[in-house]
Amino acid sequence: MLKLSRSANLRLVQLPAARLSGNGAKLLTQRGFFTVTRLWQSNGKKPLSRVPVGGTPIKDNGKVREGSIEFSTGKAIALFLAVGGALSYFFNREKRRLETQKEAEANRGYGKPSLGGPFHLEDMYGNEFTEKNLLGKFSIIYFGFSNCPDICPDELDKLGVWLNTLSSKYGITLQPLFITCDPARDSPAVLKEYLSDFHPSILGLTGTFDEVKNACKKYRVYFSTPPNVKPGQDYLVDHSIFFYLMDPEGQFVDALGRNYDEKTGVDKIVEHVKSYVPAEQRAKQKEAWYSFLFK
Amino acid sequence: MGLFSFDGGKKESQPPNTRSQRKLCWESRDAFFQCLDKADILDAMDPKNSKSIKSHCKVENEKFEENCAHSWIKYFKEKRVIDFKREETIKRIEQEAKQRERNQ
Repeated sequence: MLKLSRSANLRLVQLPAARLSGNGAKLLTQRGFFTVTRLWQSNGKKPLSRVPVGGTPIKDNGKVREGSIEFSTGKAIALFLAVGGALSYFFNREKRRLETQKEAEANRGYGKPSLGGPFHLEDMYGNEFTEKNLLGKFSIIYFGFSNCPDICPDELDKLGVWLNTLSSKYGITLQPLFITCDPARDSPAVLKEYLSDFHPSILGLTGTFDEVKNACKKYRVYFSTPPNVKPGQDYLVDHSIFFYLMDPEGQFVDALGRNYDEKTGVDKIVEHVKSYVPAEQRAKQKEAWYSFLFK
Repeated sequence: MGLFSFDGGKKESQPPNTRSQRKLCWESRDAFFQCLDKADILDAMDPKNSKSIKSHCKVENEKFEENCAHSWIKYFKEKRVIDFKREETIKRIEQEAKQRERNQ
């Protein structure tokens, strides 16, 4: 208190004094000096006495009072560690959960979905498949083509490992989808044969060139198949390689690239699935008093 | 290759689509590229190297051509060059970083 008001006063004094000159300055300095002195007097203490800020004088003449509860140091440390550890674990976990949730929320976008949307394709059994088939379950979508030389087979094998780990270790079942970027060659029959080498639950989707092009565009998948390929022509299709994780509302959650391996990919998916909050609950959270937590 | 002789003509229109076909192609690719490594040839597409390939890796090259589709062969040969250049670049950047550390 004392220290603070003193320095404030001094500053008040010095500033105008520096600006003015001659008698005026002298007068001001004197007035300032008086103000400072008066302040010391009103506190009734010496200007340089060592009273801690906000502190109270020691009453017990230095004697330490004995507490009624005796506490062993060992127990205290153990309790401290246990409580501290539990709290930090809890807060870290909650923080992580909220972060993942926020990430998903950001990817969901506001209003119009940033990725995904209506599409019309046909599955390898000849059934219609649209964006409505994504509802009610988490889906993982991969774009590729059956004549892919090395990356797609590797990625599909990785997907198989993910699916097995997810269901055996975490009880999570995803709907895995393989959308071809090469509809000219990948007929439902070809897809069926191709995908039989990989995880049995992977569903192959194809369609007309325009339907596939539309689906790829919605998922911002770049691909370059010539639209008019002669039958029997041997060519490759360039395409982007990402797994798209979609939530049970058919909304995009995350894209998993080749940087996710057999283990980290599973961890990421589990994180998203566990932190998923249905739309109704999300709306409630936004209205609740603790909504600032989710901002 | 009696097993594949009957669909030899079909191969161009139907690149390998099953796991076993892919495996066969990858294995013959690896054998061919190993041979190229030994012969110190990087770019198998470069016409300058065709003579050297013929003299050093004739058998491996034929097997590679036999077991893989044309588009795959082209892709793998291009990829070999790109991968090599990428590794070189990574090595160079790492060395430059090390040198900068030493200089500081």
